[in-house]
Order: sequence, then C-alpha cells, then structure tokens
Amino acid sequence: MSYHELQVTSHFSFLRGAASPEELFSAAALLGYPALGITDCNTVCGMVRGLKGSRETGVRLIAGCRLDLVDGTGLLVWPEDRAGWSRLTRLLTIGKSRTVPEEGPAIPRQGEKGQCFLHWEDVDPWSEGLVAALVPDEADGVTETALAQMAAIFGDRAHCALTHRRRPGDKLRLHDLDVLARRYGVRSLATGDILYDSPDKRMLQDVVTAIRNKCTIDDLGFRRERYADRHLKKPEEMERRFADYPDAIRATADITERCTFSLTELSYQYPDEIVMSGRSPQEALERLTWGKIDSKIPPDEPPEAYRELLEKELGLVAHWGYAPYFLTVNSIVAYARSQGILCQGRGSAANSMICYVLGITSIDPVKHGLLFERFLSESRAEPPDIDVDFEHDRREEVIQWIYQTYGHDHAALTAVVSRYRTRGAVREVGKALGLPEDVTAAIAGQIWGWSEKGVEERHVDELGLDKSDPRLSLTLDLARQLIGTPRHLSTHPGGFVLTRDRLDDLVPIEPAAMVDRRVIEWEKDDISELGFMKVDVLGVGMLGCMRRAFELLAEHKGLRLDLASPEMQEDDEETFNMICKADTIGTFQIESRAQMSMLPRMKPREFYDIVIQVAIVRPGPIQGDMVHPYLRRREGKEAIEFPSEALREVLFKTKGIPLFQEQAMKVAIVGAGFTPAEADALRKSMATFKFTGGVSKFEDKMINGMLDRGYTRDFAERTFKQIEGFGSYGFPESHAASFAKIAYASAWVKCHHPDVFCAALLNAQPMGFYAPAQLVRDALEHGVEVRPVCINKSRWDCTLENPPPDGEDLLPLRLGMRMVKGLSNLHAAQIVGARAERPFASVEDVWRRSGVPVAALERLAEADAFASLGLDRRQALWQVRRLGEKPLPLFLFADARDREPEVALNPMTDGREVVEDYRSIQLSLRAHPLAFLRPELERRGIVRCSDLPRIKDGTRIRLAGIVLIRQRPGTTNVTFLTIEDETGIANIILWQQRFQAQRRIVMAAPMIEVRGLVQREGEVIHIIGERLEDHSGLLHSVGQMHFPHRFSPADAGKNGGGRDPRDAPRPIPEETIRVKSRDFH
Amino acid sequence: MDALPPHQRPPMRELGRRTEAAEMPFRHHQSLCQRPSTSLGTSGSFPPLVTVHRVGNRIEIAAASPEAQALGLAPGMPLTQARLLVPEIEVRDADPEGDAAVLTRLALFAARRWTPRAAISGADGLFLDLGGVSHLFGGEAAMCRRILAFCARAGFSARIAVAGTPSAAHALARFSGTGLCPPGGEGDALAPLPLAALRVEEGVLAAARRLGIETVGELAAMPRAPLQRRFGKTLLARLDQALGRAAEPFDPVVPEEPPAAELRFVEPIATAEAIGEALRLLMERLVGTLAKAGLAARSLALLCERIDGRVERIATGTARATRDGPHLLRLLSMKIETIEPGFGIEAMRLVAGRCESLGPEQLSGEKPAPDLALLVDKLAGRLGARRLFRRSAVESDVPERSVRRVGPLAVAVPWPRWPRPVRLLSPPERIENVFALLPDHPPRRFTWRGRLHNVRRGDGPERIHGEWWRHGREAEAVRDYFQVEDEEGARFWLYRRGDGDDPRTGDLSWYLHGVFG
Repeated sequence: MSYHELQVTSHFSFLRGAASPEELFSAAALLGYPALGITDCNTVCGMVRGLKGSRETGVRLIAGCRLDLVDGTGLLVWPEDRAGWSRLTRLLTIGKSRTVPEEGPAIPRQGEKGQCFLHWEDVDPWSEGLVAALVPDEADGVTETALAQMAAIFGDRAHCALTHRRRPGDKLRLHDLDVLARRYGVRSLATGDILYDSPDKRMLQDVVTAIRNKCTIDDLGFRRERYADRHLKKPEEMERRFADYPDAIRATADITERCTFSLTELSYQYPDEIVMSGRSPQEALERLTWGKIDSKIPPDEPPEAYRELLEKELGLVAHWGYAPYFLTVNSIVAYARSQGILCQGRGSAANSMICYVLGITSIDPVKHGLLFERFLSESRAEPPDIDVDFEHDRREEVIQWIYQTYGHDHAALTAVVSRYRTRGAVREVGKALGLPEDVTAAIAGQIWGWSEKGVEERHVDELGLDKSDPRLSLTLDLARQLIGTPRHLSTHPGGFVLTRDRLDDLVPIEPAAMVDRRVIEWEKDDISELGFMKVDVLGVGMLGCMRRAFELLAEHKGLRLDLASPEMQEDDEETFNMICKADTIGTFQIESRAQMSMLPRMKPREFYDIVIQVAIVRPGPIQGDMVHPYLRRREGKEAIEFPSEALREVLFKTKGIPLFQEQAMKVAIVGAGFTPAEADALRKSMATFKFTGGVSKFEDKMINGMLDRGYTRDFAERTFKQIEGFGSYGFPESHAASFAKIAYASAWVKCHHPDVFCAALLNAQPMGFYAPAQLVRDALEHGVEVRPVCINKSRWDCTLENPPPDGEDLLPLRLGMRMVKGLSNLHAAQIVGARAERPFASVEDVWRRSGVPVAALERLAEADAFASLGLDRRQALWQVRRLGEKPLPLFLFADARDREPEVALNPMTDGREVVEDYRSIQLSLRAHPLAFLRPELERRGIVRCSDLPRIKDGTRIRLAGIVLIRQRPGTTNVTFLTIEDETGIANIILWQQRFQAQRRIVMAAPMIEVRGLVQREGEVIHIIGERLEDHSGLLHSVGQMHFPHRFSPADAGKNGGGRDPRDAPRPIPEETIRVKSRDFH
Repeated sequence: MDALPPHQRPPMRELGRRTEAAEMPFRHHQSLCQRPSTSLGTSGSFPPLVTVHRVGNRIEIAAASPEAQALGLAPGMPLTQARLLVPEIEVRDADPEGDAAVLTRLALFAARRWTPRAAISGADGLFLDLGGVSHLFGGEAAMCRRILAFCARAGFSARIAVAGTPSAAHALARFSGTGLCPPGGEGDALAPLPLAALRVEEGVLAAARRLGIETVGELAAMPRAPLQRRFGKTLLARLDQALGRAAEPFDPVVPEEPPAAELRFVEPIATAEAIGEALRLLMERLVGTLAKAGLAARSLALLCERIDGRVERIATGTARATRDGPHLLRLLSMKIETIEPGFGIEAMRLVAGRCESLGPEQLSGEKPAPDLALLVDKLAGRLGARRLFRRSAVESDVPERSVRRVGPLAVAVPWPRWPRPVRLLSPPERIENVFALLPDHPPRRFTWRGRLHNVRRGDGPERIHGEWWRHGREAEAVRDYFQVEDEEGARFWLYRRGDGDDPRTGDLSWYLHGVFG
C-alpha cells in the first residue's frame, strides 16, 4: 500500500494554484513521493516545467489534466501512453477552439476558466487511453449521474476522487461517495487536491484568488478556497487519513503504474520540404549547398577555407539530423526572396556557413572569422536556433504563407507566459489587500522597469510611507512571493513551431488574440527542452527601409544591390569616415545618443569594429564596466594584456576585455573549468534566475574555479558580474554581427546616397530614434533638396524627382502625402489616380475628380499642399470648407459659387506657418521655430548650437533649444537631454542633483535654456547643465499657440520614469523601434 | 444704471435678462478645506492636490489645487505625467456628483438669498437673473461685491460678470476680467475675447482658428452666409445669443419645501384630546399633499408652537415610505403624551422631513403578503429603533464574525449549508480534562463548568484558519472544530487551538464554543 499524489494544481492554472511545478516537485522529493501527478485546469502548459522539476528531483511526473466541463463537472485525466496524450491534447484543442455564441467569443488570452468549453459528448470519443477520476462534491444526484457517465465512458479506467476537505460531515460524505461509486462500479481514488507545496503559501493562495475575482481580500468571503489542508502531505499521513479506504490508496499506486507516459516520448518530426524530391533531407541539403557555394566565394579568397567549413558543418548537421530544419528555414527565406521581402538571419545562425551559402544570412563567416561552435556543436544536443528578421511591415505575408504552406494543423506560434514582475505584483497585491490605488501606484512607480527583486525598503522610505502599517508590510511581502507567478498566456510575436504530423497530437493549440493565428500552450524554452524545432519570424523596420532604398537606387540610379552584394561585404573607407564623425542619424543601431558619443572614440575602421560598437553600448558591458577599459586599450592609452595565455585566444579580438556572451561563456569554460553545457546553463540561469534560483551555486563555482586556476579574485568577481549582466542585457557576437551588417549597409547608403536614404527612411516611418524633422534636416545638411508636399506632384510615398538641369548628383526629394497627418492611404491613391489625366486646377477640381471626402482635402490644405494652385493654407482651407459632403450637380454648384461674397482672411504670420507645418507634417521646410526667436535670444546672450565647436572647453555658456530627447539611463545617475535650435543639435548632461532640483522643467518644458559648462572630449561636445529655464512661453509666442511638441521614441517625458519598458530582456519584441533604441536607458 | 433718470431706465422685462455667471475654477473645494490626513501620508504643509478621473484607458487630472497649478499641473494632464513632474502630489478621485451637489446647493442658496431666478451653468458656474433685484442689494456693483465676498467666506474662488445675455455673462466671467458690462455693450465687451468664449464645440473652434478667426469680434465682422456654410448653424447661433439677437433658454432651479400642513388656533389648546384631533386634521391634509406629489413619508415631525414662544416637537420615522394616514397617525399619537402644552398651543405644523416617491400600489386582485412594515413601525415606536434587528450571515468562516445585525426589513443572507450551533458562547469557554487522540480525532470526554461529559459520537475536524488579513496574530492560527454528542444526547461544538501537527498554529488547548439545540 503506497500513496501517490495525483491531483496537484500548479500556478499554471492561472491564479488558482500558488506554487510552481519546480517547487511542488522538490517538496514531493522531500516528502518521499516516487511520483507526482500534475493536473492543471484545462491546460498542460506547465507540464514541461514539471518535467524539468521531475528531472532535477528524480520524482516521476505523471502528466495529467483537470477538465472542467461546461456542466460544472470536474474530471481528472491521466494519459496512459503516447496515444492517450495525443487524445488529451486533441480534446483540449477542441475545447479551446470553441466559443460560446451567446456570450460572444471567448477571450483566449485571459487564461481563465471559460476559455475551454467541453461537454461529456466531447470526452467520450477521446477517452481511450485516458485514466479518469471524477471530482465529486456531495454524494447526491448530480454525482450519481456523473458516475454513471464515468462508468459508461471510461469503464475500468473510471475513478471517483475522495478528498478530505476538513469540513463538517466530511467522513460521512466520503463514505457515501465510496458507496455510490461502488454501486456504479467506479473505483475510489484518494487524492489531496493540492494547491501549494507548503502550508506557508496559504496567504498567497488567498491573494491570487482575490486577484482572480477582482476584489479585495475583505470582500472575498466564501469565494476563498475554503477547504483546508491543500498543501502536500507525507504519504504516510495520507495513508493514515484514508485508513478506511485501503483500495483508494492502492488505486493511486495502480494509476501510477498504469500511466507510463512520459513527455520525453514526444518525438518531433521535421516537416517535409519540396526541394527534397525523393532525396533524404541530408542529401537535399548537401546538394543545395554544394550547388551554391561557388557563387558565394569571393574571387579573391581561397576557396578551400569555405569548402572545409561547409564540409565540417554538414558533417555536424548529419550527426544530429538537423538537415530538415535548414531546409525549412531555407524554404521560408526563399519565399520571402521571391516576394521581394528583405530578410536576414540573426543570432547564432550568423556563424554558419550553411546559412551563408543558402542566403539565410549575408555575413561571410570566413571573412569575419565567426565561430560555428556557438551555433552547433558536437557536445550540445540542442537544436540550432535560427531567427530570421523580415521587413517589419511585410512580415505578415511570410506568416500567412507559413500557415498556408504547412497548414493550420502543423504550424502554430509559441506562447509566452506573462509573469508578475515587481510592479505588477505590487499593484495587484495592493489592490487585493485594499490599499489605496495611488499608494500602490506610487510604490510601483518607484520600481525601475522590469525588476524582479521586489520592492525594497528604500522605495517605501522614499515615499514616506509607514512600513509598520500591517497591510502595507503584508502587501510588500506577498508581492515578493507573487513575483514570477504566471498570469496568462500570450502569443510570441514570431516563434513558429512546424511539424510533419499534426501539431495538436503533441500539444494543445488555441486560437490567438489575432485573427488567423493559433498558438500552442508551451513557451520557447519548453519547446527547446523537448527538442522541437522553432523558427523565429521577426520583424525589423530597418529592413523595410533598406528594401525601399535598394528599390529607389535601382529605379533612379540604376544600381542593383542587396544585403549580400559585394559593396556590402567590403569595408568602404568613405563610409567609415562618416561613421567616425558620428554622422549616423538614421542608420541602424549606431544612431542613438549613446552610440554617437562613442563613435569618435571607437573610430571604427572595419566591419568587426561595428560589431563591437553595436555590442558595447549595452547595459551588460556597461554594468560590467567593460566599456572604458576597452576604449582605453583601443586608443592605445592602456596596454593590452591577458589574464592568462589560455584566455588570450578567447579575448584576443576584443583586446582582452570580454564583450560578448560567447566570450563570457568561454571564460567560464577556459578560466573556471566549466563544461560547455554548464556554461550554457549558467547563461540561461542568469536570464531567468528568479524562477530557478541557483545563481549562487554558479557564482561560487565560477569564482572558486578561477581562483584555483590562478586568476585574481578581482578579475573573477568582475567577470562573474559581467555574465550576470549578459544574462538579460548582453549581445552574443553573432547577433551583434547580424545587426552590424544592417548597420553597415544603412550607413553605406547614407554615405553615398543621402537622398535615397532619407526618402527610404521617411517612407519606412514610424521607426528609429529620430523624428522626420531631424531626418529631413540631416538630409538638408547633406545637400539634398527637399520639396514640400504638393497636390500636383506628391505621391503617397516620398519620391525622388528629376534633378534640375545644372546636373546636381543628388536628386531632389519630394515629400509624400504619407507625411500629412490624418490622411489615409486610400484617399491619397484616389488623388494620385485622378491626377494622371491632367494636373488639378483648383480645390473644386480635386474634389470633383478624385471623389475624396472633404475631410481629406482639409488635411491636405492644413499641410499647405495647395500652394502650387496659388492658395495659401487659410485660403485653401476656406475653399475646402465650403464644399458640401457630396459633389453637387454641376449647375447648382456653379450657382452657389457665384453668390459667395469675398472674404478677406487674416494672413498667417511666418511663425504660425512653421507651427502649422509641424502640426501637419511634423517638420517645416520654411524655418526652424527658433529662427524667429533668435534676435531675442541673442539679446539675452544665448549662443547657437553651431557656435559650440568654436567655444573653448570649460567655458560657461547659455544655450536654448527645443527638447528632442530626454533619457535617464537606469545604470547611471545622469540625465541626457538633446536640444535643437535652428543651427543644430546639442547634448546636455544633467547630474542627478541638478535634475532633481529642476525636475519639472526637464520633464515638461518643450523649450529650455541651459546654462552650463562646455565639455569637450575630442570631437564630442557636451554641455554640463547647471541651471535650466523654461522657455515654453517664448516658443509659444512664435505661432501664438502651443508648439506641437512631439515626443521622441526614447523620450522619458512620455512614459513613466524608470527603465524603458522596451528594454525587455530577450525575446526581443517585434518592432524595430524597440530593437533599435535599446541603448542605455 | 442708477445714474439714469427714472424714465430712461430699461423696463422690468429687459432687466430680467441681466444675468450673471459665477464660476469656481477649482471644483470640489471641500476636500481642500477639510482635508483628512491619510494615515500613510506625510504630514506638513498642504502638498499639491489633484483630483483624477478615468478617460478611456488613462487617468487624467480633473482638477488641480492652486498649489498644484503653480507647479504646472493642469486639468487634462495624464496622471502618470503629473507624477513624473511632481512625484509628491496627492491624488484623489474626482467626485462629479459631489461637485454637482455642492453647486446645486449653492444655486438653491442663491435662489433663496439673492434672486428668485438662479440656474446652474455647466459643471462650474451659476446664472443669476438680476432683473429687478439688484437694487435690493445696493445696485449691481455692490451686489457683485457682496456675492464675491460670500463666496470667499464659503471657500470658493469665484469670478463674476454682469451682462445683458446669459451667454455674454458666461463668456465675460470666464475669459475676461471685467465685471460689469454696460447694457447694450455686449458686442464691444466680447469683441476681444477668443472664440472659445462662445461655448462652441472643439472641432468648430479649431477650424475657425485655422482660418485665422481668433476673436469674437473677427467673427462678428464676417459675412454670415459663407460662415454658415462652413461652420453650420451653431456658431452663428451662439454669437446671436451672446449679442442678444436670439433668445436663450433659462432653466432656473426651484427650491423645494418639504410637504407640510399647518393649523392655527383661535383659542390655544392644551388637552391631549384636542391635540389628537388637530393632529388627525393635519394628517389628513398632509396625506392629501403627499398623494398629490406622488410622495410618501419616511419621517414626520409635529411642531407645536406654545403661546410662550417655545416649540414642542415630536417625531417618528417609518421603516418603509408610506402615506397610510391612520398608520402614521397611530405612530405619532403614541407620543402625544410627551408634549408639554404649558399655557396652551396656538399653532401646530406637521412636516414630512424625509420623503420618497412611492411605488405603485396594488388595488385589487390577489391579496398581497402581510406587510411587516406596519408592525415594525409599531414595535420600533415602543422599543426604539435600535432594539429591533434581524440576523444575517457574513461570509466568514470565523464563527464570531459570521453574524451581523441588519435592519428589521433588510433581506438577511441565508446561513451557509454547514451546521452551526443555535447558541454561540461569547467568549468561548475553556474545557478541562479533555481526552482526545492527535492529530485529528474528536475528544472522548471533557469537563465543562465542572461537569464531566462522556462523548458518544463526534464529527470533525472542521478546520478554520484565522483571517490573516485582519490581524497579524491570526496569520497562522488554526482552530479544529468538532461537533460531539455526549451520553445524554446533548450536542456541543468544541474546538482545539492548533492543527495538532504544527505548534505554530496553536497551543492545543480546548474550548467549548456553542451548544446545539
């Protein structure tokens, strides 16, 4: 007789359970259970975590699920074998794909009950191979009916769960149930109905219940979990409690014995590809790559190196059987190519020759000396990870193609489990405990971004709150416990799982919030734990911009290029000259403040320098204090030395400073004697330390290992600290290389074709770090002529026009109607279409021939697009507003026009014109707003930004400008401000104390005056701000109305303080903006 | 106006259009005056205070105190931004109903004190029709000063303007500093004001601004037909209303008096019988008044004026709104003997202080269930309302907290399905000599109040955890309740502190908490 616990609810039954599968398994191991059955409500999404827990503790996982049927019946099921598992996942898929018509569609993302709709009739056909137990309430008619159903459906696999509730009449209830079950030939089964691993979690359980019910704990009443003793208890104790029902105890052991299914049995099949045509995948891959390699070898390089590398890689791929994976990625990329969608592999794939040959990546691994081992190695059984970036705005085409090609039954997106972090936890727990909303909001506001450390004492002290208040201290304590608890499943933006067999045989699939998307229940990590294949289809805005640039180059300049062209492989001196001058506005990755201030010191001269540049301005290296030593060594101010000969090889390329994730791992291997698998586990545990713990284990091992090998403690600790930073905020080398590729390509276009570059960037908006005004200004400074939006000339996109006859190189740029605020693409297309016949002659003409609504014409009038018809803004608007809702018959119209008296409108002041320009198209080609204020500013002794290069270091000056960007990097105590006047941009540094004193001006004023010291560092000039003055009134006077102040993407004035939410640890969100402006924040 | 010779003064009707608007830029001032200090907040001088409301997905500032406005916080700003600018701001929820109630009270006060015609204007203003009343207060200027002084005393910051049309007064009070606009001078007074003063919607306003029409004067100078074509009718209609070319509805508040009936006697009365008779008469009238107004009384007061000037008062309340004359009469009659008639009563007044509208009554058909309210009123009249209550269950597993008193006519929450003793001991009594097996067996015997009970049967435990959110002591506390029956068939509800396993949960002492019937 031995008791096994089979009914355990983990916290993956969102806001029902209070313990993670890992915690449950370690508790089970401690109590001496040989196996543990996890049964989450209508889901198996915690199962892989359970498998992990089971692997770590040796307690066997009995996979199961609790099905809550629509009629209120609770049913526990455990699959006996692989086939049973598939039936369970199919059944869940059916339930999840259903919506209840009278209540509208179920909300799939909530992870709440009500998301899965199943009836007895559904269970019946999928019941084979499933052992089941009814969760009864009282021994009444309802239970009786259910027992009859159970017996009919499950036969000898039917059970009736007996659970002590610790409520009055419990013994009698169990007795009655046992008798009733016997009557229907259903076997009784003892269970514990476990919600948490130890009794201490009871409070947390009540809190999550309150959160789920969206009420305070005081109002929760009988909605609490009222049945007591929901923690794991010793098997002996359970046997004592069920001493009257020995068979119910035996039944637990029988089920454990019977259900031999293990998740590791889920064997994954790669989808077949058309290119195979009868060959084995390996043969097909070899044929493909050998066929293409010659075209990829540059003429001036020795071909042997390429062939050897390919040979080696193919060998490894054959060893692990990954060929189908490469073929699948190849198909996806080939499709994108055929549609003219620009794409590039990122991440570790960039190290691979196969990917280069297939065109998945465009980085030549021989030339750039990248390491294949990070991608695939003989010692790692993990499938390779190929992430492919597509143009952001055309990614959807690729996704839909994948669904069409592989089918909805074979392709689905992976899930992302959203978990509580400090802020959310404090907010929700505070709400549940009835703290006033502004108190919790204030506490949450103190937390820096994505912290997972919980609220610290100093945060509470800073707010002047009373820590001894019992509710407050309970809140802080419970919020700390809640961190890491999953709250719902959401969809990964682009992680696809593709299979040859039906996907819902492996894992339940549910509809995603977006139409036509389906998502599996498991996360990326879960997938890789089981060895499934995954392709990340991500979006990068700059790729869209580059495609547009290449198209414009082909159309206007006859240059046919793409990312893999020789021009993009070679290091172009002019381009690097430009980069060294930090003239990089608009380029990929190296355009931000932090990057630009680093460039003149870095002085990149070759591609690999950009790789370093991209990787170095990251929180990881910055927190690890690796940046300045690297720069000093690069500038030759410090000798390049290596801690040991062994590490020389690892750190040679980065002058002795570990800058990349790979290097940090190698240091652990070479320096501290880690095995490669351990090093990888170390990196992963860093990224997710809050869930698994065990960081200190690695810390000791690492530091001791390094001390043993003769390194100094200082170096060891520094290295460890850096790896810690890398976990979430560092770049792997290959990833940096992929980004550097795009960065270089964009810089190349900017350097040689600023006209094309600006047009492509404007057409790819919104993206990047800078607003259109700065991009256009930059183009103007590079000699590009920019022409205003015009009803007779502009198309939707910005276009390049024919140059004036005097033979300028650069083509004039015509702003497109896409710049006009509030104008829809459709209406612009109608106007352009109607114009083809002959140019428009008047406002009425546009209206009648294009048939667009008056509102669209109003937008155009506001953008001053009728200037070519001799109408200024107000006149055009006056005429537009006269038009009725629909074009009138011609004679009536003429009638109405004749009778209109002449009206003289006030002409606009120049300043107002500029303001209106900004309001409508976010930039002005007339003048900078500050140009109007210059006399006044000069009177006050304020210098121009363009004067700065001539001013001596340490001079005290006054400078005024419109605030473009405010940044508060989380790691330092400075605030950066970028201001702009009519002559240029200036960068201001504000130390913490000065910031606090003038916080409101910094955060709110659209225009400021700065008094401060000029600080020169080579070519980089900063102003160390001392006093600020709010000049919004002055700015206001320019147009006699508020200046339409647009926040930049990185502007901290827009979102609450703290680390920028975009600065997420990987997975990187899909939009480029996010990827690109990840600098220091 | 007083300077005009009498024959040149405008006639009464025109005076009737003189209107003023008083405004409170800071709404919900009361929270400022009587600001309770939160237990969590820091004390000291007034921190900047804002009230907030939810607009779509974000929380915006609804109003800001002068301290907050001085720091640049303005209504309409998102709260997150405000916090960023001034981390120490104090935030309250906006209370538009409360504000409206204050404004209505002010309007009613104005209607009683200053002019019979006062109206509410938007969320923050009042219209007062000065027609024919300003001379009572020493002329318009003096009256304005008095009103402003009153507002300042009451804690409102107010602005005031007097003009010939409500629209003009509204505009001047909000957009201009001037107070008195001479009759007929509305056009000139309004000319420099921005168009927003005309109360036109934001879209029209923005369009007009785009076309360079900034002020009322510019608008008035433009030809009407093209304007109407471009902006629709409302813009010109607003202009006409402001300039007195078009009428504008005026919706004055009407102060409501509680329904009452009054009797004055030729000869003072003093006997209980006479008072009772008078009361009957008053009641008849009052019930008639109530019926006409569709109201019913929740409370009644009888005021008796004695010839020596003192007022004797008796009052009663009802459990449910009623205008059942005999019933109300009975309730009051019980108290007649408490009236001290002194040398005689010369007037009596019956007032229905609190009224509610009465729902429809069933006239015929099935007989309705007997109405308890009448009985409740009678009992409450005898015993006092506080002694009459009903028990209702509270959703708590802790027995002491599972019951509360509710009003006699309130709906009681039914008892949960788990059995509870009919009588709970408060506090629970310690029992001795308990013989029970650990961890979860009911006792075999125990001694209570010196008597030994041998237990024949028992059920349990029912495990009840402390409500940790109420008190730190309850965080780990556990009581295991047992229902036991002794040899004589008496049943008891016992509990043991602690779960018999973990010493933190209790000291394993036993108590008797209740007896079953």
